Amino acid sequence: MKRTYLFLGLLSAALGSTSSANAEPLIWGVQVEQLENRFTGDAQSDVMAWDGDALIGTDELKFVVRSEGEFQTRSERLETMETQLRLQKPISTFFDAVAGVRFDTPDGRDRVHGVVGLHGLAPQWFEVDADLFVSDRPSARFEVEYEALITNYLILTPSIELDVPLRDNLEAEVKAWGPKMEVGARLSYDLVDRSIAPYIGVHYERVFGDTLDLREEEGEEGDGLFFVAGLRLMF
Amino acid sequence: MSRLSLLNAGVVGLSLLVLSAGDISAAEYSLSVDRVKIDTGDFTRMGIGYNGETPGPVLRFKEGEDVTIKVTNNLDESTSIHWHGLILPYQQDGVPGISYDGIDPGETFTYNFPIVQSGTYWFHSHSGFQEPDGAYGAIVIEPEKREPFRYDREYVVQLTDAHPHAGDRIMRNLKMSADYYNRKQETLLDFFSDVKDKGLSATVDDRMMWGDMRMMPTDIEDLQGFTPLINGKSSSQNWTGIFKPGERVRLRFINSSAMTYFDIRVPGLKMTVVQADGNNVQPVTVDEFRVAVAETYDVIVQPKEDKAYAVIAESMGRTASVRGTLASRQGMVADLPPLREDPRLTMADMGMDHGNMAGMDHSKMPGMDHSKMPGMDHSKMPGMDHSKMPGMDHSKMTGAAKNNDAFYAAGSGLVPSAADGGKFLSYSDLKAQKPLYEDREATREIELRLTGNMERYIWSINGEKYEDADPIVLQYGERVRFKFVNETMMTHPMHLHGMWTILDNGNGKWDPIKHTVSVAPGTTMYTETEVDAPGQWAFHCHLSYHADSGMFRKVVVKGGPKSASLSSQKGG
Amino acid sequence: MKKRYALYAAAAVITLSLSSVYNPALAGAGHGKSGKTGAPGKASEVTRTINVTMSDNFYEPESLTVKEGETVRFVVKNAGEFVHEFNIATAEMHKAHAPEMMMMMKHGVLEADKINRDAAKKMQESMGHGMHDDPNSVLLEPGKTGEVIWTFPENAELEFACNVPGHYESGMVGKIKLSH
Repeated sequence: MKRTYLFLGLLSAALGSTSSANAEPLIWGVQVEQLENRFTGDAQSDVMAWDGDALIGTDELKFVVRSEGEFQTRSERLETMETQLRLQKPISTFFDAVAGVRFDTPDGRDRVHGVVGLHGLAPQWFEVDADLFVSDRPSARFEVEYEALITNYLILTPSIELDVPLRDNLEAEVKAWGPKMEVGARLSYDLVDRSIAPYIGVHYERVFGDTLDLREEEGEEGDGLFFVAGLRLMF
Repeated sequence: MSRLSLLNAGVVGLSLLVLSAGDISAAEYSLSVDRVKIDTGDFTRMGIGYNGETPGPVLRFKEGEDVTIKVTNNLDESTSIHWHGLILPYQQDGVPGISYDGIDPGETFTYNFPIVQSGTYWFHSHSGFQEPDGAYGAIVIEPEKREPFRYDREYVVQLTDAHPHAGDRIMRNLKMSADYYNRKQETLLDFFSDVKDKGLSATVDDRMMWGDMRMMPTDIEDLQGFTPLINGKSSSQNWTGIFKPGERVRLRFINSSAMTYFDIRVPGLKMTVVQADGNNVQPVTVDEFRVAVAETYDVIVQPKEDKAYAVIAESMGRTASVRGTLASRQGMVADLPPLREDPRLTMADMGMDHGNMAGMDHSKMPGMDHSKMPGMDHSKMPGMDHSKMPGMDHSKMTGAAKNNDAFYAAGSGLVPSAADGGKFLSYSDLKAQKPLYEDREATREIELRLTGNMERYIWSINGEKYEDADPIVLQYGERVRFKFVNETMMTHPMHLHGMWTILDNGNGKWDPIKHTVSVAPGTTMYTETEVDAPGQWAFHCHLSYHADSGMFRKVVVKGGPKSASLSSQKGG
Repeated sequence: MKKRYALYAAAAVITLSLSSVYNPALAGAGHGKSGKTGAPGKASEVTRTINVTMSDNFYEPESLTVKEGETVRFVVKNAGEFVHEFNIATAEMHKAHAPEMMMMMKHGVLEADKINRDAAKKMQESMGHGMHDDPNSVLLEPGKTGEVIWTFPENAELEFACNVPGHYESGMVGKIKLSH
């Protein structure tokens, strides 16, 4: 919690220094990339998942709250939830450097990591997030997304996320160097400007290596395919 | 805070008080700044107007008179009024933070200045995004002497790009996603149709080339989804101007848009351009012309037939158009033709024109302080590697074959051509009818690189945003030559307050005198200014969301006649 | 008495011959070009002189009234800062003349405030026509004065105008009213 206050303090200092009679406008907004129900053949495994950012700041420094999670609809149990408090600062034309904190809530137990990463737009329009989570259960995460415009309103967004644990984390059911992969393809339609865009798609999860072995030992599935329906929001 | 609707014309606060004191006449005007309802026929929203309406009333001044304008702020936020194109003492110029502190809610500010010019001008708020929200109006100044052209009647034709979203919401959306309003992006369907036209490898090469730079050839209008209006009326509301066949009609075109350039034509009538930015030009007859944001053009047309003529303003990016009618009788509606094909930017507009690399000379980029300009890393400007330019097939650069206009990059995709054939006005055609200044050598040159980061929606000059930059300091009495180098792929209408901008278009002593000059992507343009107005002045790109994100400077004029001083006075 | 008869006879002869000269019905009889716009006039037949001042971009007077068949001398002075034309013709002829003037501008013959005689020679050589020296018009540099002597016809809709590109459209044109 102390780290939160530290970041908020830094932020207000940064914002305070930019305010003047001719200050540029404050940038703020909420972008929810995923707010969806994931369905499999088996209702037990259906989840509601979300992934979104709330941001505030200026061109020089932005404070972002990123929240993602999965909620088991049947058993009404929170499967995973992550909250990141990030400070983003531009370091090149298309990329921001990121530093922050991440709080996990698996099974009701808090887990705190430091975050160091990159966020930006790679050539050929690939949106990239690369983060290193620093703690006693460290991991590295790499996400790439691409928006393919079928028309100016109908957009197909394939995405891939790779989460590589750097040390065993048995509570999270992962073993070092046994990555988790999520692949998705979501077809959305911009219904109201870019504020509300409903979508449908597919979501496939899979674990590899020692993590896969661990899951199989515990009698769980190593992979899962979901049909998804949800909303993209931006305001 | 009172809320007045468009129909509430009873609150016209325009009172004319003529006092004669020998040869000096004086006139007094009142303007209230109000929240008003805007109804374009496509959408309704709340906006800002003057004397209960938007556009505000047409202010009619006389050259040589002293005007007093009382402005009452009925909003719950600060406001201001800037008199665009008028030469006046800097404290009357209406820019908060430069001329004065603005006009507080409930306050009445009295402007007072002499009118030293004639022609067509306009006025607008210089606070926040009030101007895009409707705070604009026209100024018509009657000349002392006879004008070098005759007409039987006149109309103000004031254009804007009204948008359903409020100005500050638009700015916020653009910051979150620069392509928020761009619905002309290249799609999969476009890909297939390009493959059909150009072949697979040429199309892939083309997409890769633009993708490498993370830029779009369709990125001509940042803001789309607007409803263009003529004098506050959309096509369905049909602004109408009546004429008697055979009359010469003067049309005073004013582009009061936030972001949109318009191409103007009146099918069936040629237009003779007689004034640009309020200054008489040697008359030139054209079929169509482009009016940049904040510019004005006065033209004479002579409709001879007893019918309706369409006055068409089509946006430069071809996303929207508006039609007004010049009619010989009430109740006529002229035809509204369909929008023309979208233009596309070419590599030439990126400054990749091999013949015109002026804007890309890296050896001349000293002092690029990266700490001040987030993400503007020029050393890594992608696409500058000529070995990596596949698909630079000049035979396919259709833009180059069409028209050449010295004020667009050679091979630019933005060069306009007249819809029904004929002549399209170019800056090169503008020649002053009567030069205001003696033609002399400039005393020094100042380079202003127009820069920006489209993805982050940051716009700047010389890589620095307004709040990070030092003011431009000029000496009273010098003649400054401005060199604008446009390193972005957008056209920027640059406006210097308080002093005339003489556009160097190769016409020597006949160089036209303007207040707003449009710099096309990938080009370098020169202007000169006789520094004869003491005080401090704003100098900025007149695209509202560019000015607000940093493409702005304060100009300080040091020295001047003894009576003037750099004191900031509030009130008048 | 004889003297008076002689005088009357002489007067009659003169009147008859004059009327035969100015009789519109005999107008085609070998007096140079004449038709709907009139004809170049002879200095000796001038009955009136009208002063016309050209400024930027307008004429003073703004319109003219002449008698049908009258021969008028126009003394045209360019008091403006730009080159102007004083040209007597119908509206259609003015419209046809405009592209010619535009050509002269393109070839550098006609500049805003002067006439380039060298360029005119070159244009004459390459195109067969350069400076036009028609009897119904004068093209004058600022400060210069010129003359047009014109005999007006009956029944015509004539205008005097300047066909320098843009000037006609700016209103540098006036009606010539023909009275009986």
